[in-house]
Amino acid sequence: MMLAVFATLSLSLLAAYRGPRWLAALAMLVCLALTIGLFLFEIYSPEYGFRMPWLHVQLDGIPPRGIFS
Amino acid sequence: MNLATGARLPATLNDLFQLAMMATMAAILTAAMVLQYYDNEIPCPLCLLQRVAMFGVCFGIIMHFRHGYSARNDGVSMLFALLLLIISARQTLLDIYPRPGHAYIGSAVLGLHMPVWSIVIAVAILFAFAVKFAALGGEHPRDPQPAPALGRLAGMLSLYVVTLCLINFGSVILQCGTDACHTSGYRLLGGL
Repeated sequence: MMLAVFATLSLSLLAAYRGPRWLAALAMLVCLALTIGLFLFEIYSPEYGFRMPWLHVQLDGIPPRGIFS
Repeated sequence: MNLATGARLPATLNDLFQLAMMATMAAILTAAMVLQYYDNEIPCPLCLLQRVAMFGVCFGIIMHFRHGYSARNDGVSMLFALLLLIISARQTLLDIYPRPGHAYIGSAVLGLHMPVWSIVIAVAILFAFAVKFAALGGEHPRDPQPAPALGRLAGMLSLYVVTLCLINFGSVILQCGTDACHTSGYRLLGGL
């Protein structure tokens, strides 16, 4: 997958530098789609999904009558 | 089309801005490659995707110098800057709490690790574009080609960025092959 991302990226940059505009735009669109797909694949965890439970915090205690009372 | 000097100034300033932006991106990508090959810091998959986003920023700038100003090119660059911000923020949050199998990859530069630097870079790019739009406005009509010296410099820098991308492509082939990428070695060199 990473190979496809860099292949389309290289193609788009080459076409942007010396090539037809439509090819550059098309290759970059494909590259963007592949990048987003690979990013979602990389951060997905079978255990947590897309959540990040290690960032959860909890209150030690809630003041019984609020802070300002 | 010959434009009056007064109308040409914002266009030239915009060209200088784009050139400076591409030079900065090229320097950052070169530094990443030096760290990879000289210090043997093999990039993780999310690190590679951040490089893709930085090349995407350069893509909009190369299109600008090749085909002239279009707000679309700036939009593409900003889109990839946003992508860079999302990827780097997520990677920072993944590694922000030390736990088994999760730690910041690579060595720290000025106390910040690579994904944190990527956040700084992405915010700086978006900030720079915002300042540019605020200062110069959105339309910069100019002659079909930028000033000769500027055009030559932009052409050389574009070629350098394209070459960097091709080197990265070769490096990805060695590191990942057609499979998943790992930071433990280069797959095709027998490092896995």
